[in-house]
Order: sequence, then structure tokens, then C-alpha cells
Amino acid sequence: MESLIRAWRLAHGEENGKLLASTISLTNTDLEEFAYSTNSARVAEDIFRALEYENNSTRPKITNKTGLEAWAEVYVAFWKVAQALERYDEVEWGQVFAGMKDMTQYVRFTAVIRGFQNSGWEVWQLEILYTACKYLRYVAIRADEAKRAAGEDTWKQLEEAARVINRAFNVCLNDRAELAQSRKWGTYYIINILFKTYFKLNAITLSKNILKALVANTTEMPDLLSFRTSDVVTFKYYCGVIAFLDEDYFKAEEHLEMAYRLCHKDAQKNKELILTYLIPTKLLTRRQLPSAALLEPYPSLEAVFLPFTKCIKGGDLRGYDENLAKGEDWFVKKRIFLTLERGRDITLRNLFRKVYLSAGDSKTRIPVDHFRAAVSWKSGVDVETEEVECFLANMMYKGYIKGYISRERGMVVLSGTNAFPDTGV
Amino acid sequence: MSSKDSKAPKPEDTKEPKAIKKMLEEDDEFEDFPAEEWEEDETDVPGGGKPNLWEESWDDDDLSEDFSKQLKEELKKVDAQKGEMQR
Repeated sequence: MESLIRAWRLAHGEENGKLLASTISLTNTDLEEFAYSTNSARVAEDIFRALEYENNSTRPKITNKTGLEAWAEVYVAFWKVAQALERYDEVEWGQVFAGMKDMTQYVRFTAVIRGFQNSGWEVWQLEILYTACKYLRYVAIRADEAKRAAGEDTWKQLEEAARVINRAFNVCLNDRAELAQSRKWGTYYIINILFKTYFKLNAITLSKNILKALVANTTEMPDLLSFRTSDVVTFKYYCGVIAFLDEDYFKAEEHLEMAYRLCHKDAQKNKELILTYLIPTKLLTRRQLPSAALLEPYPSLEAVFLPFTKCIKGGDLRGYDENLAKGEDWFVKKRIFLTLERGRDITLRNLFRKVYLSAGDSKTRIPVDHFRAAVSWKSGVDVETEEVECFLANMMYKGYIKGYISRERGMVVLSGTNAFPDTGV
Repeated sequence: MSSKDSKAPKPEDTKEPKAIKKMLEEDDEFEDFPAEEWEEDETDVPGGGKPNLWEESWDDDDLSEDFSKQLKEELKKVDAQKGEMQR
């Protein structure tokens, strides 16, 4: 216990947020020693005395009695966590979660009561709030998994965690202290943990509520780009995915492109996640496909998207459908299935464009049968004339083709110029 | 699930902190970055000489005679079908 509490004092002396946060980290190497250093009858007293001892050896004192009591609550709760993790062969995740939840509340409380302390709760101390929220989410996920493994269908503990983290979010967002010492600097880190939590809970609406609360507070909020790059990239990624799920593809493109551009080059998994949404997005917004060079560093994305790009370019409708069916589980899980389904239009447009090009230069009247033959060939299904006319009309309506259908003559009459807008013909 | 099922282990039986860490990090969400701040030269930003990462879907250079030839074959099939229907 001594080493942990000493770290608490040293952290305050150096204003070292990382060191302070490490005292409540689940990966702290002193965790085991801490768990065995006292027992449930004595823990409250032992911890308070240890804190008091360290506090008194500091000039000026780190905190007053109220502050000391708040910190004691933090470490008593953390002792319960350490014990639940270290004591038994099988980790009791429900107990770990209960302890983590209490501890996170108390950590938040140490921030809220700073007005009563001798020296205020300062911005460097945000790290401990980050660490508490981060592990609370992990532990809640494990605790729910354990319950589900025992046959109970529940996300209850993660939902509770979300509520606790949401309170931490409000503590940051609504801080009125001057900017240099404002907890507002913690806003985006906490939002990102909330996003991760809500996504896991499939509660995207709640993420949007966070964004609304943020918009209502922009006047006093520092500019996004003055936050840490890691916070910015994560935030932009989630904003991008939220816009994507809202089918607001141009907004999604803007967010995701920024996330991709600022992303650390070694963060392979994160770049892969960004591209998972950016690729379908750009297919719809710009009708652009990822190049082989873009996909090459990501074997799993390459395996999924490269066949698609080949099918789209070749107008291969059957191949497109087969690839969509083959990857369906993953696409649905990633929530990109519906968007990719729309990519079929681009494939069809490319096929019609090929028919047009193969008819020879500047030929503007092409029999519907030519398109029918092409669709039957490339989809592997004999389609009726009416069906092809329907496809063509749809393409015209969407602005992919300029022209009209002359049904009496069985002809498609295409515009003399720019018949396939934005494709160079 | 009560604690009496589990015995308090001797210290040497307890988990490595690493094992706990691994248990906590199996997650499909966006990961923590190795750093908090970094400069532009630590990103993949397409600068000088980098190949274009996005291509237009119609940039298909294999629009060759093959397509036209095959399309003619397919047209014959369509015509044959029509002929049958008219008969």
C-alpha cells in the first residue's frame, strides 16, 4: 500500500498526471501487493492513515481533511477492485465492476470538490479521471460477458458504466474555471470513451445527444484542433461513423478524411477502421474506388474491397452480388451492408457505359436490346426488356445517364454530350 | 458464483498483471494511440510522389474488343429468344 500512496504524493509534487493515474490502473504492478496489504475490516483506516502520513510530509499540504477523505474513498474502492482481481483463481467481474464504479464516482468527486481544497484540482489531474473511465468501460464489458456466459442476456453493467462516464463528461463540459485550468480540456477524451460505450450498446442516438450538448457549449469550448491529436482523430472517427449511419455521406466523408489524414501512421488498426467506412462513403459521394496501393497495407480490407472494385469496373453484376453475399455477415456487423448494396448502381452504370462505348463513337441511339443483352450476360440471369427499361429509367432519374427511352422504337436516345456525366464521355 | 467456490491462492498462483491487461483489451473499438500528440510527418498524409489513393470507377482500361465481341454474342442469344417467343 505504501508504494501506491507514495506515488500519489509524488504525483502531486511533480504535477505528474500519468503517475497519479497509474495509482488506479488495473495494470499497476503493485496491484497484488496492494490487495494483500490490508483487510476489509481495516482498509478504510489504513488507507486514510497512509494518505494522512504522506499529506503531512508535504509542504504545503496536498489537500485538507475533506480532500483527504475524498481520496481515501477513491483508494478504498480501488482496494476492493484489486482484491476482486487478485484474490481468486476466477476473477469475479461483477465485484470488480462494482468497485470500479464506486471508484470512478469518487475520482469525479475529488474533481468536483476542488473548491474546498487548499490547492485546486488542476488540469494535469484529468489523467486520473481518464484512467478511471477507461477501465470502468473495459471492466463493465467483462462483467456483462460473464453474466451472459451464465445465461443472462444483459448489458446492464455497461449501461451503468455509461451513466457514470456521462457524469464525468458533464463535469468536464460544464466547468467554468479559467481555460488554462479548466476541466473542459478533458471533454473530448471522455466523449470518445462515451462513444465507444454507446457503440457497444448499439445506442447511436445517445452519441448524437452528446454532440448536441457539445454544440450548445461551443462558445466557451476551445477549438477542436487545440486538443490532443489522439483525442481529435478518435472524435473525428466516431463523428464520421455517426454521420455514415445517418446516411449523411458528405458529412461522413469530411469527418473520416480528417481522421485519416491526422491518424498516426503506426496505428494500423485505427486506420483500418477509418477506411472501413471511408471506402463505402467515397463510393457513394464521389463514385471513387480505393486504389490497390491504398488497400495493400491492410490484407483484410484488401480481401474484402479489391474484388468489389474489380466488379464495379468491369460492370460485373453477378460478381458484385456474390461478393456482397459472401461478406454479408461482416458487412452487417460493421453496418456497411446497405451502403455497399447501393454500390451496385455504380456497377450497373459502368456496364451501361461500356455498352455505349462499344457501340462506337458518338452513337446516341442504342437499341434497348443491347443493354438487355449486357445485363443478362453480366448478371447471369435472363432479364426482360421491361426490367432493363426500368433500370435505365432509374439511372436517368438518378442523373447517372442523360437521355430518354423511345419505347416505340425500342431505342435508348442518349444526350449528344456528357451522356454519362462525370465519367469523361 | 459465490466466493466460497474459489480458494484464496498462494501469491505465486496469482495472475501476472500482463494477463489482466490482455483480458481488458480485447475490444473491437478504436484503439488508444501509442502517443497523444504527433506531427504531420508521423501521418500517412499523401505528400510528394505518393500514388493517388483513390481512383475513378470508370477508369477501366480493359474496355477492349473483347467486351464488344462478347456483347455481340449475347445479343444473338437475346435475338434468338425473341425469335422463339414470336414463333
